[in-house]
Amino acid sequence: MKWLAWGTVLLVLAVLAIMPFFVSNYIVSFAIQIFMWIALAGSWNLISGLTGYVSFGHVAFFGTGAYTTAILVSKAEWHWLPASLMGSVTAPLLAFIIGYPCLRLKGPYFAIAMLGLNEVLRALVSYFEDFTGGGNGISLPPIAELPPVYYAMGGAALGVVVLTYRIITSRFGLRLISIREDELAAEAMGIDTARLKLYAFLLSAAFPGIVGGFFAWYSSHIEPIGTFPLLTTITMIIMCLFGGKGTVFGPALGAFLLSIFQEMVWARFLFIHQAIFGALIVAVVLLMPKGILGVLQERYRLPRTI
Amino acid sequence: MLLQGIVSGLLAGGLYAMVALGMALIFGVMRVINVAHGTLLMLGAYTTFWLFSLYGINPFLSLLISFPLIFLVGVILQRFFVYRVVNAPELSSLILTFGISIFISNMAMVAWTADYRSVEFLTGSFLLGAIALSKPRLVVFSFALVITCLAFLFLNLTKTGKAIRATSQQRDLAQVCGINVRQIDLITFGLASGLAGAGGSLLSVIFSVIPEMGQIYVFKSFLVIVLGGAGNYPGAFFGGLILGLAEGLASLFLSAQLSEVIAYILLVIILLVRPTGLFRGRV
Amino acid sequence: MENILELRDVTKRFGGVTAVNRCSLGLAPGKIYGLIGPNGSGKTTLFNCITGLEACEEGQIRFRGERIDGLKPHQVTRRRIGRTFQVIRIFPELTALENLLVVTWLPFDGAQRRARELLELVTLDRLQDEYAGNLSYGQQKLLEFARVLMTDPDLVLLDEPAAGVNRTLLNELLQTIRNLRAQGKTIFIVEHDMKVIMDLSEKIFVLNYGEKIAEGPPEMIRTDERVIEAYFGRS
Repeated sequence: MKWLAWGTVLLVLAVLAIMPFFVSNYIVSFAIQIFMWIALAGSWNLISGLTGYVSFGHVAFFGTGAYTTAILVSKAEWHWLPASLMGSVTAPLLAFIIGYPCLRLKGPYFAIAMLGLNEVLRALVSYFEDFTGGGNGISLPPIAELPPVYYAMGGAALGVVVLTYRIITSRFGLRLISIREDELAAEAMGIDTARLKLYAFLLSAAFPGIVGGFFAWYSSHIEPIGTFPLLTTITMIIMCLFGGKGTVFGPALGAFLLSIFQEMVWARFLFIHQAIFGALIVAVVLLMPKGILGVLQERYRLPRTI
Repeated sequence: MLLQGIVSGLLAGGLYAMVALGMALIFGVMRVINVAHGTLLMLGAYTTFWLFSLYGINPFLSLLISFPLIFLVGVILQRFFVYRVVNAPELSSLILTFGISIFISNMAMVAWTADYRSVEFLTGSFLLGAIALSKPRLVVFSFALVITCLAFLFLNLTKTGKAIRATSQQRDLAQVCGINVRQIDLITFGLASGLAGAGGSLLSVIFSVIPEMGQIYVFKSFLVIVLGGAGNYPGAFFGGLILGLAEGLASLFLSAQLSEVIAYILLVIILLVRPTGLFRGRV
Repeated sequence: MENILELRDVTKRFGGVTAVNRCSLGLAPGKIYGLIGPNGSGKTTLFNCITGLEACEEGQIRFRGERIDGLKPHQVTRRRIGRTFQVIRIFPELTALENLLVVTWLPFDGAQRRARELLELVTLDRLQDEYAGNLSYGQQKLLEFARVLMTDPDLVLLDEPAAGVNRTLLNELLQTIRNLRAQGKTIFIVEHDMKVIMDLSEKIFVLNYGEKIAEGPPEMIRTDERVIEAYFGRS
């Protein structure tokens, strides 16, 4: 049984690896998007799914990574790959600044603090105009070909899934889950909850930082509105919830399914699109709080490592 | 100049206090953080706007309509959605109300577009010594003050009001004392929504009305609750004034854009230093 | 021999209510102590102060001579003080085994072995892969017991261990408690079940309205006038 599962995974990876050479650019672009959402939803899962601390402002890390890369590429002439990887430094730095004070708080306080983060960052970006290009944003040289971005995003997505798997099967993951289940009891067990939450938070900020950088390179132009939109946070959340928060493959599943729905049905009308996501969030919380994988896990007694 | 900033700040603070009281009530009674509070505010604002533009109704008079209307919306939301997560972990109610707020505000966007609307009713200011008091802000403040006082009278003098306070202190105990907590939940959510809606109606006189206008108030209301101490309703009132004051002073000495950042930093500092609030409250 | 736990004038207030009022007591190592008192007398609050869940306003708490008041709960646990809760606290979505594995400082293999031993001790070994949320009340009670032992405490605080437990299970628990004492651990129990406390304890402290009104061996406490008055009122 296990060999079958691993075999399928390897097969899928192999197909994905050679895909860019056989399909149209449209599909490659679409795949890049899906990879990006897998990485984002999976990162949100690391903090909110595992510890139960809802991060409403996670897009802040995405935006930080985007701006880091854009500034490094346009002003310091870095190559986009190392510039994007710097996102895994700046975003966790921001996470540390915010997380160190805020994670000591109980869940709801943390969530609201994160909610405000978005607005604050947008204000800051506008304020420090010279550096960030203000409302006009920063432009980057257009990319010549898609495959490098494809592999980069794919790598990030794979990285998040693997990281989640490693965490969930470790004692670190066990402790994070115990924090979610009963923080007081966790403390009574000798677990330094403040520190563990911070670690999880830092990890959860790293990948959005990197992916933000890839995104900046891919879109060749970033500006405050497009880089810190609430929609990104909403999408991250609903994808993770839908697929199954707290599971390894849940966010990826959610990202995959909802990206397809999104592309086929709703992307044309932005506001209906967001409204539907809102309604979907309500529906999932009320009807299927554990997400698809969560439901399957319970029904068929699947291991937690799914 | 300084005095001007203080006065403007206090005037804004009164409104913050009223809106925050609503959120404090919901949090106190149901332990739910109503992220949709801002959208309820927005609905109130649009109610006043349309009543004004289509029928010429005095915006302050429209409070008589917007309060009950948004009250009703709140009751419906509670009855069909929120009541199911009252006993669930706080994560669920956060995400649920978040989803509701996204849905409502985007439907508003679809229905009414993102155009900036305004209610041109009261303009100008009059001078009191060296201070220019903006007329609309002054009137808005007065209404907010009156409504908030009425709310406090309700909470302290009526049977239902006392039941609400009892439930917010010890839900289980309230139940065994014969209080119908389901009903209290409905009334509280309705009342809180009404307060938010009223806040929106009043705001429409001063600021532009757009679908996202309420978003920042969720955050600010929460900040007020934290300042005043969770579960401390009078504290919320003073918390609102303090926030208004802090912002007023901040926009005086720094740029207006940064005043939002000030609110944020204030929140983080308070949560670190005195999480139970400046006054007595439960965390 | 020095006391393993020493409380001096510990005071805890909640607004206008003084839950614990200048409470002083000392526990010698290796004995079983009881803490009784009418409802609301501050017993659980006292436990909370010792384990760091609450910060006491005044007074000192010393464990093995070192001050521990003001420490965070996980720091208190790491100093080898363990405690159970009045309302059972376990992790429902983790298996019984995993509930024990979250403890920090043991290396993984050692932890696994120890966890399995403890589960055997409380006769839950065949349920080790069952989600703790699915266990019965009694089983969860046993699991919480095992959980406390997992942290290898020298001082064990038990908050109403007999609550809601049937006779058979109770006897098992009591035997386990006696075994722990035999291993040299110090046990401090809050209980309402008088028979249990009188049987087990070597010394009992009595609280009323946050104040210690009596202390002594069970026979003495049983006939102490102040204690009787606290529980039953003046006759």
